[in-house]
Amino acid sequence: MGLSRREFIKTGSLLLAGLSSPSFAQRIFEPAISVENPLLYYPNRTWENFYRDIYNAESSFVFLCNPNDTHGCLLNAYVKNGVITRIEPTYKYGLATDLYGTKVSHRWEPRCCNKGLALVRRFYGDRRVKGPFVRKGYYEWYKAGFPRDEKTGEPPERYFQRGKDKWLRVSWDEVSDIIAKSILNIAQTYSGEEGKRRLENQGHYTKEQLEVMEGAGTRTLKFRGSMPFLAVLRYVGIYRMANMMALVDQYIRNVPPEKAKGGTGWDNYSEHTDLPPGHPMVTGQQTVDFDLALWEHSKLVILWGMNPYGTKMPDSHWLTEAQMKGTKVVVISNDFMASARTADKVIIVRTGTDGALALGLSYVIMKNKWYKEKYVKSFTDMPLLVRMDNGKILRARDIIKGYIPKTLSKTLVYKPGQSLPPNFKQDKQLIPENIRIQDIDDYVVWDLKTNSPKIITRDDVGEDFLKLNIDPALEGSMKIKTTDEKEIEVKPLFQVYLELLEESYTPETVEKITGVPAKAIVDLAKEISENAGNTKIAGGMGVNQYLHGDLTQRAMFLLAALTDNVGKVSGNIGSYAGNYRLALFNGIPQWNFEDPFNIELDPTKPAKVKPYWRGESQHYWADEDTPLYVGNTLITGKTHIPVPTKFIWFVNNNSGLGNQKWAYNVIMNQLPKTECIINNDWWWTLTCEYSDIVLGVDAWHENRFWDMTGSVTNPFIHVWPRTQHRRYFDTKNDLETYALVAQKLSLLTGDKRFYDYWKFVFDGKPEVYLQRIIDASSTLRGYKIEEIAKKCEQGIPSLIMTRSYPKFVGYEHTIENLPWYTKSGRLEFYREEDEFINAGENLPVYREPVDATRYQPNVIVAKPHPLMRPKKPIDYGISDEEALKITKYRQARNVIITADELLKTKHPLIDSFGATHIIHTPKFRHTAHSATGDVDVVALLFGPYGDFYRHDKRMPYITEAYIEINMEDLKKLGINDGDYVYVDADPQDRPFIGWQKRPEDYEVARALVRVRGSYSTPKGVGKIWFNMYGSSHGSVKGTKINRNGLAKNPETGYQSFYRRGSQQSVTRGWLKPTLMTDSLVRKNLIGRDTGKGFMLDVHCPVGAPREAFGKITKAENGGLGNKGLWRPLEIGLRPQNPRESFKKYLKAMYVKIV
Amino acid sequence: MAKVFNWQLNREVEYPYESHKVKKQFAVVMNLNKCIDCQTCTVACKTTWTPGRGQEYMLWNNVETKPHGFYPIGWDVHLMEKLEEQNVQQIWENGQYKGKTIIEAAPEGERVLGWMPDDLDWINPNIGEDETSEPVDIGTIIEHFPNPIWMFYLPRICNHCSYPACLAACPRKAIYKREEDGIVLIDAERCEGYQECVKACPYKKSMFNQVVGISQKCIGCFPKVEQGLQPQCVTTCIGRIRLMGFINPPNEVVQDNPIDYLVHIKKVALPLYPQTGLQPNVYYIPPITVPLNYLRQMFGPGADHAVEVYKRMREGNEPELQALLHLFGSTQFIPHKFKVDGNYVIGYDEKGNELVRVPIVEPVQFRPMHDERYDVVRQDIT
Repeated sequence: MGLSRREFIKTGSLLLAGLSSPSFAQRIFEPAISVENPLLYYPNRTWENFYRDIYNAESSFVFLCNPNDTHGCLLNAYVKNGVITRIEPTYKYGLATDLYGTKVSHRWEPRCCNKGLALVRRFYGDRRVKGPFVRKGYYEWYKAGFPRDEKTGEPPERYFQRGKDKWLRVSWDEVSDIIAKSILNIAQTYSGEEGKRRLENQGHYTKEQLEVMEGAGTRTLKFRGSMPFLAVLRYVGIYRMANMMALVDQYIRNVPPEKAKGGTGWDNYSEHTDLPPGHPMVTGQQTVDFDLALWEHSKLVILWGMNPYGTKMPDSHWLTEAQMKGTKVVVISNDFMASARTADKVIIVRTGTDGALALGLSYVIMKNKWYKEKYVKSFTDMPLLVRMDNGKILRARDIIKGYIPKTLSKTLVYKPGQSLPPNFKQDKQLIPENIRIQDIDDYVVWDLKTNSPKIITRDDVGEDFLKLNIDPALEGSMKIKTTDEKEIEVKPLFQVYLELLEESYTPETVEKITGVPAKAIVDLAKEISENAGNTKIAGGMGVNQYLHGDLTQRAMFLLAALTDNVGKVSGNIGSYAGNYRLALFNGIPQWNFEDPFNIELDPTKPAKVKPYWRGESQHYWADEDTPLYVGNTLITGKTHIPVPTKFIWFVNNNSGLGNQKWAYNVIMNQLPKTECIINNDWWWTLTCEYSDIVLGVDAWHENRFWDMTGSVTNPFIHVWPRTQHRRYFDTKNDLETYALVAQKLSLLTGDKRFYDYWKFVFDGKPEVYLQRIIDASSTLRGYKIEEIAKKCEQGIPSLIMTRSYPKFVGYEHTIENLPWYTKSGRLEFYREEDEFINAGENLPVYREPVDATRYQPNVIVAKPHPLMRPKKPIDYGISDEEALKITKYRQARNVIITADELLKTKHPLIDSFGATHIIHTPKFRHTAHSATGDVDVVALLFGPYGDFYRHDKRMPYITEAYIEINMEDLKKLGINDGDYVYVDADPQDRPFIGWQKRPEDYEVARALVRVRGSYSTPKGVGKIWFNMYGSSHGSVKGTKINRNGLAKNPETGYQSFYRRGSQQSVTRGWLKPTLMTDSLVRKNLIGRDTGKGFMLDVHCPVGAPREAFGKITKAENGGLGNKGLWRPLEIGLRPQNPRESFKKYLKAMYVKIV
Repeated sequence: MAKVFNWQLNREVEYPYESHKVKKQFAVVMNLNKCIDCQTCTVACKTTWTPGRGQEYMLWNNVETKPHGFYPIGWDVHLMEKLEEQNVQQIWENGQYKGKTIIEAAPEGERVLGWMPDDLDWINPNIGEDETSEPVDIGTIIEHFPNPIWMFYLPRICNHCSYPACLAACPRKAIYKREEDGIVLIDAERCEGYQECVKACPYKKSMFNQVVGISQKCIGCFPKVEQGLQPQCVTTCIGRIRLMGFINPPNEVVQDNPIDYLVHIKKVALPLYPQTGLQPNVYYIPPITVPLNYLRQMFGPGADHAVEVYKRMREGNEPELQALLHLFGSTQFIPHKFKVDGNYVIGYDEKGNELVRVPIVEPVQFRPMHDERYDVVRQDIT
């Protein structure tokens, strides 16, 4: 007997439990009511209160939803009986303002998305981490006093069965003790000569790695927050923790503060492959972009490998509203993705060849002289002269003996030890004297008016250059005498680019490379030049996330610069991936670099800043925890060398481990070398599965402390509101987890400074730290934290005070004539540094993808040019064959072939492995990275396989992962739409090195997915969405022992979207040589100071998560329980097998209009 | 059978009950040129109204990719098949529908020409997502309207029809149309779960709750509408494609009523499969990228004109329409009237109070570099 409808109505809730289907026959009929005409009159409508009761809430409060999607939305949570029942937008963005009274409009409404509204089902979900947990084996290791091998210092393997172990719930007090003791023990173990000897005996690390440790075991402690810009206290706080490790070092090695070393801080933006590494090469600073609200100010918008409808959802309306006003949109993509839906033009390009396309477009514009001469001459390197003898750009000192560089007015050149203005008062770029003299000097152009060389400085850009009355040559070849009396040939870089493009990247050649018809290339070039200064080029992960993204970006920038589309309201270029720009809060050193030896305890005073932690790219850890050697040659630059990794503290981070590129190699081969892995999170992710300690922290609606965030795609700053909502579980704020460990360290070491370092957290007033950041930030100074926080608690954000609303990068240069952060102060497309010359990438060339191609991978596709002089494999002591086939070496194989030759080559895996498909892993609308996509109501819609009732018990979850391929490929492979398939990439290292001998681990790591045949994907390309949670040992075990077959870890509740493996089964880590230089001059991450070589999140490896080439093999039938066809296919409603009526419907033959 | 006038078909149609004019008729306009398929509407609706047992599969609001997506699977292919089975010729002549409606074509002994979906038809609610009509390949260039290779997103809620099939089919007379706003409701107390409405609704927007044993459907968010607010699927629409208001019959058009303006005056928003004869009240601005024959099949003979007008607007030749479309999403309240004032469009409530005023082009504003008051250098690259 079921619940009666009366009771159903009375409960006032739709969350009914334990019911079976009612029997109608047993129903007590309602009293007869006569309804004559229900269109006219209905007698009793009191039942309607049922829905009114559901809708009416008892109270509401505002919280911030802020995954790494660049948006950040204040949302209203509606509460009933102490539980949030639904979430809505605030509709108060139109009230945002700044200190100057700048007004925005309600066109910003509504701010929310599918993921944010679904949080109502995540906040109380079964995967909430309900407190502190320690893996049983780790707990035993701690209890046993961290026993280690005498010779190597390695802990016994029996304590380290990660992913297969049980978990223990402990108290916050005990977990803090475990972490504090782990820190001390590990730092101690690897400190000093003894520590070095242990690491040597482990036999894995190179000598450079041990040298850069400088004897400090604290360097082996790695700290990695979620994207720091998302919550500057919580996520940057872990880097403050890294700085505090200097106190640990002092305690262990008894060194004075000036010799103490902090921990190691890992990268975020570059670790996610979100950094466009070509941007710092061209502009000298991190990234150029613009708020997406500016779309409507341009006549032409090019979405290049960017899919805003999937990843920039709340801002997409600015694009469609621009179209309503006549803006034309061009989409360039390797498949027909969502944003192509409304485009005015769609161009489908061969995967990974976008750089060649940009070069082809640039060629057409240069050849036809459609470029904007004034901009080209005054803001780019194109008039600079390059030496044809050594490939270096000509300097004044080359031709004038004893030349002393001119005094600069737009730059502050400083001497070592000179005190510099704080970031918020820097009205000039800062350049250290040695870089000014050694790397920059002054440049030379050829003046056509006087037919002679003229010296220019980096000040001479824009209008200030034009005032010099020089007309620099762009074309031709000149002879010039150097100071050593040699006559050398020099050419303007424009001439060199034109020669390169004329030989190698004409529309006809580019058609061969990209597949895009030559005519379409000419047409688009024309369209862009007709909209010169009025075009926005928005690049996305589709161009970033290949190994040669940097070359693609250099080429795209060339195109933008030729057409005066940089740094204007109406024209600009942008790269969109990740909410990266912590630098917008450039007062952040107040927080992450406060001097732990000199702590400021007066809340009204600024902190004293001293950096102790060392930045490092996490890619090395994910790539065997060593720098890149090719043959016997060390390719990684000295400034980049990674330290061995023994301890990791992740904060709210699934990308660092669970969804890491080459995740299964990391899990199977790298994790055993790391001794302690901690992860803070409020949701049990794949990273938690393989951690040793998981700290359950407050979810976003339980936030106890104000915190602050901004965005790279909108002009808002948000304060994370403080909530009155109850904490349902034994969770802490992330800040409290750091403070508790610091407190334990004080106890264990007797040093009170650990505690003092977090004093205002203990006092319940961490906003002191926020106000310090605000007061020291050029975009925030003037705001009072209390005021902007209170507004946010009402749903109203404030505006970030950059130079404009909406904000964009480039205004200060293009309009105010400031130099870019490059050596020449101009946009530089040529890279003269040795590392670039060695790689054959001094010129902006096109390279094949390193794996994602059916042709020979990683070759430079060009005709020889006298300035192209790359090192060959033999120079590194390896054969060409080895360099091609061994993936690790391939990334440094610099072989030049022409486009015609390329088309005759093959990827070696075609013959050796039967590989057929490029496999790429883009991001989708249903999740932000892996966050929130697994909530049932969202997952239901993620892909074509959603089924709440899981009729097919093979399904890992209520939906599942799939690879999408072209319909013709289906036929060729003998596979049907909806079948299960294995997806395998290069067997030498994927899914992990050594899989052949580890069948149990291989079962976990090998990707098993459904296949979808569609028309939207070109032949030879397979697409698996990036965002779905992958398999763990526990989830695979779940598929075998759970009675319902769910891929859910019976021990932890972790839920996979895959029965086996994940999209990361086919990827690997890559370390591109030109991203590891010691010579690239670039602005530091924060502030306007300049440095060289490695810079966290600016110049370091980015990996290449879209690079894979593999094969697809049928595993099982798509029909229920492995029988027959997948039902939609069987009933003729799929394109593979449409029934007659469906065909007629598709051709629209049912309706006739006369 | 009564005869009622259906302005969408431009003729009288058969209906089991006499026509009755409601005081106001709920209507939503959806601009399909702006839908990004974010599914926020779907999740907003689901978390608000259908999170319970027996409702797992229910999406009162769904978004499907046309032409390969459906919820439930094949619903509109079925509609075409059913009409064909009854030998209905779907012919429009000079703007008048000459074929039979699903009520007129009902088989002997039935009130409506309907079909009952299989349980399994409701699974895979996002089948066909992002799939194009024809294959793309490397080097494909799509640059002319209508596109030879296309797809579009179709968000769907209950149409709150003027002549609802669900209401006509209900043997219990437990479905009614509200006098004050024209919203169609299934009385949860009186419904017996016969599922005739599920079978009858050609749009398949009536769904059966097996746990409670009753049929349920979109309620037009009447608890919000009663408070002057637009429904959840509208106020959470970040594509800003939706506007809810009240529509008047064509002979009582109010010039500055946004819905009347779009449907009756500009005729840019069209009903979904009007040939059902139910006079549905969700109106779609058709996607200009899609071939016209498909649009005519789905939205009737007005498709050509609607596409033409929208294109003209993009060229700058329909400034008032262009301005009005910027009002979509700008307020959570129901705009009864609108006005265009230079770079601004203004929405008003029922009493004529201003609800919101938004610019058609968002102005760009600049700040000086040196701020002496706060002793700071404002910068873009920090």
